[in-house]
Amino acid sequence: MRVTLKTTVRTVIVVAVLLSSTQLFGTSFATSSRVVREFPVDPAGSVWIDNPFGSIDVIGTDSNVISVTADRTLTAPDTVTLKEASDGVALSFEGDTKVRLIRTLLPPMRNVRWAVLVNYVVHVPRGVNVKIGGSKAADHIHVSNVNGSVTINGFSGTVIMEGVVGASVVNMVNGRIIYDCTQKPAARAQVQAVNADIDMWLPANSNFEWVANTINGDMLSTFNVKARSFNGSVFHGIVGSGGPTINTESMMGHVAVLVRGTNLSDAQSYRVNEPGHPGGPDVLRQPAKKIQMPFVNGEFVFAASVADVTVGEVRGNARIETGAGEVELGAVFGQCNVTSLGGPLNLGDIMGSLFAHTGAGDIIVRAARLGGQVTTDGGLVRVIYAGGPMTLRSGGGDIIVRQFSAFMDAETSSGDVTLTADPAQKSIKVTARTLQGNIVMNVSPRFAADIDATILTSDPDMNEMHIDFNGISVRREQVGNKTRIRATGKINGGGERVELYAEDGDIHISAQNVTPLRLANPK
Amino acid sequence: MPDCDSMRENMPLLLTESLDPARRELTHQHIETCPICVAEWSAYKETWQILDTLPELDVPARVKQRFLAEVSPAAVTPNVVPFRRRVAPRWLAQAAAVVIIAGGAFYGGHRMTPQVQLAPTPAQVTAIQQAMPAAATYSIAESRVLPAASISPQIEGRPDIQNVQFTDASPSNNQIGVSFDITSHVTVTGRPTDKSMVRLLRYVLENEDKQSPSRSRAIDWVRSTYSHVGNPDPEITEALANVLRNEDNQGVRIKAADTLQSMQSTMTDSTRDALVEALKNDPNPAVRIKAVEALAKLARSGGSLDPDMVDTLRKKASQGDENVYVRVKAAEALSSIQPK
Repeated sequence: MRVTLKTTVRTVIVVAVLLSSTQLFGTSFATSSRVVREFPVDPAGSVWIDNPFGSIDVIGTDSNVISVTADRTLTAPDTVTLKEASDGVALSFEGDTKVRLIRTLLPPMRNVRWAVLVNYVVHVPRGVNVKIGGSKAADHIHVSNVNGSVTINGFSGTVIMEGVVGASVVNMVNGRIIYDCTQKPAARAQVQAVNADIDMWLPANSNFEWVANTINGDMLSTFNVKARSFNGSVFHGIVGSGGPTINTESMMGHVAVLVRGTNLSDAQSYRVNEPGHPGGPDVLRQPAKKIQMPFVNGEFVFAASVADVTVGEVRGNARIETGAGEVELGAVFGQCNVTSLGGPLNLGDIMGSLFAHTGAGDIIVRAARLGGQVTTDGGLVRVIYAGGPMTLRSGGGDIIVRQFSAFMDAETSSGDVTLTADPAQKSIKVTARTLQGNIVMNVSPRFAADIDATILTSDPDMNEMHIDFNGISVRREQVGNKTRIRATGKINGGGERVELYAEDGDIHISAQNVTPLRLANPK
Repeated sequence: MPDCDSMRENMPLLLTESLDPARRELTHQHIETCPICVAEWSAYKETWQILDTLPELDVPARVKQRFLAEVSPAAVTPNVVPFRRRVAPRWLAQAAAVVIIAGGAFYGGHRMTPQVQLAPTPAQVTAIQQAMPAAATYSIAESRVLPAASISPQIEGRPDIQNVQFTDASPSNNQIGVSFDITSHVTVTGRPTDKSMVRLLRYVLENEDKQSPSRSRAIDWVRSTYSHVGNPDPEITEALANVLRNEDNQGVRIKAADTLQSMQSTMTDSTRDALVEALKNDPNPAVRIKAVEALAKLARSGGSLDPDMVDTLRKKASQGDENVYVRVKAAEALSSIQPK
């Protein structure tokens, strides 16, 4: 009995060690199989290939049949899962001589523990139209020597179009797209990608119209591109005598049309500084940059299409213009002018006047000592300290000011406005408006002002005026189907005008003892 | 727990509603946070319930005599013996508590009941159902019916009672009813992960008066609280998703989307759908930015993105009239996706 127990324990230990070692070394089970098929197809027919995982090679031939070789590889951590994978993956060959459909079929709710890779090599008659879709992950999609039209829609991988003569449409997300055209372009090419670089090599005597667009990358060519023009960030140019349109568009990658035999490094950028362009180039045509610096000793002028800018300290004026990105400035000793078409702005201690605008995103300002203007087309505006007169605007979002000492003008189309007046100031002029939201204004109990606060509401029971001061008269009147609640009067004997307006929200003027903020002096 | 002993001493008084409000609140808070005292408190309540079901019997004279005979010598013993605390069986402690409670309750109730005057003075009705055996949990409900026995005879403060109605549905059964609206201030304490707390916050987020600034504050508070919790309850993220879908105030929607971004670990399909919907259709670019940033973060963390989400990101990245920053963020999200 003791021997048996000992043996069992040993066996268990050995099994555990083996199991753990297989896990450690990532051992998995795999199986491969090959399927070969041949089908007749019309010389001008179509071949559709739908393969989520795996490479696809389509080669044009002089034959009049489609020849398909599919290599299927399945991997799984155990034999049971491998069996499940084997049962779940099917290769489907459908259609007729007009349209042939080749598909890899996967179960709709796939177990992620197994993986499948099907590599297709398809020989087709040269004149057929090829359509490749549903590709999620491929090492490559290679189409060569095809005279018919080619359409490719995929997610990631390298697309290689070699000797493709007909019209082509390629739409990818990630990866790379390469065209190698042995003949002058005779048909339209529409090549789009999100994160992929696009490189096209064409014969030197090609004639075509080039349309290029990229936000983050560059537009490059070794051709002599004539009649160049920009429409926003979209470039138009003519190569040779013009001809079919080659449209290359990549959001984050570069786009290039190159003479066969030349390299990308020889190419000229057509993105920046078109001569004779009044007022300098559009910011979206500036190259993308990423800046991270502890300080700039003097003036800082910066412009980029896509940029993340982080500067700890600017010992002078700062002028920043971006198409998109995050801007973060620690301290600016002079004037600060930041314009972004989109992206959050995080600004620290601004000692000169401030102008900050973003097309979308939050703006946070730690201190605007001389005040200024801060606007966003949509997003939150938060100012910790406003030492001078300020104008704050939001196309939709809250506006919060922790302490203001001078005239404050805040307006949002939808959102709450919360303003806290400097307790050391006896009276400050204020204008605050929200077209959908609440206004809360915190002032010291000694604050003096002429109050004119209005609520326009469709539900007068829900929206209320709370004013922690005496001497205010409140009137209600019906305006169409809404009720206007208006509070006017002088508090603490009257002072600067405080004008508040809220639609479908509350107004609260709260008297409270607030601890004043103290700013450190710049070193 | 250093104060467990004193809290346990409070338990019988809590059961008989004889604690002052401050100590009562303190004791409740302790019980809710101390697993040992929770068990003790449950035992007390259980015993109290059992007591309620026991028939009242007279002690037989023979038993009474023997009991007194046993007790008497100990009462007159001249020796002072040092007190040593013994680990008594739990049932013995419960039995002793029952005796104290029953005696205390009878004495207290007998003295205080005739002094209650409800009608002439505005008064606060404090429903202390936690202490009552019949209702172990306090129900936050729009309307409910309470038996008079479950209401504390002590009315504290000056609660505002309105819309008072008197009913006597069946004159023969000697039962009357008084209905009223009352505004009371309730503080609910508990761990952020307590289901009741989660449900309460969900209710506040989804049903709070839309124009009230408290919804915005609620989101701020939920964010600061649950960003420290390892796995916030999915109900919280779903509530935020509903705010993102339904709220008119754009500032509140921005906050909801921003808060969802910080709660990646408990994203449900419904939450992801709300973010995708916001990215597709929200008119405020800041909401779309927050939504695309949340999806980008999800993609970077290897979270599952269904084909609809990928398609939406793809369209956004290529949409010429979309804000450039939204497009860039959509592209970044797509670059992080590993198709599975």
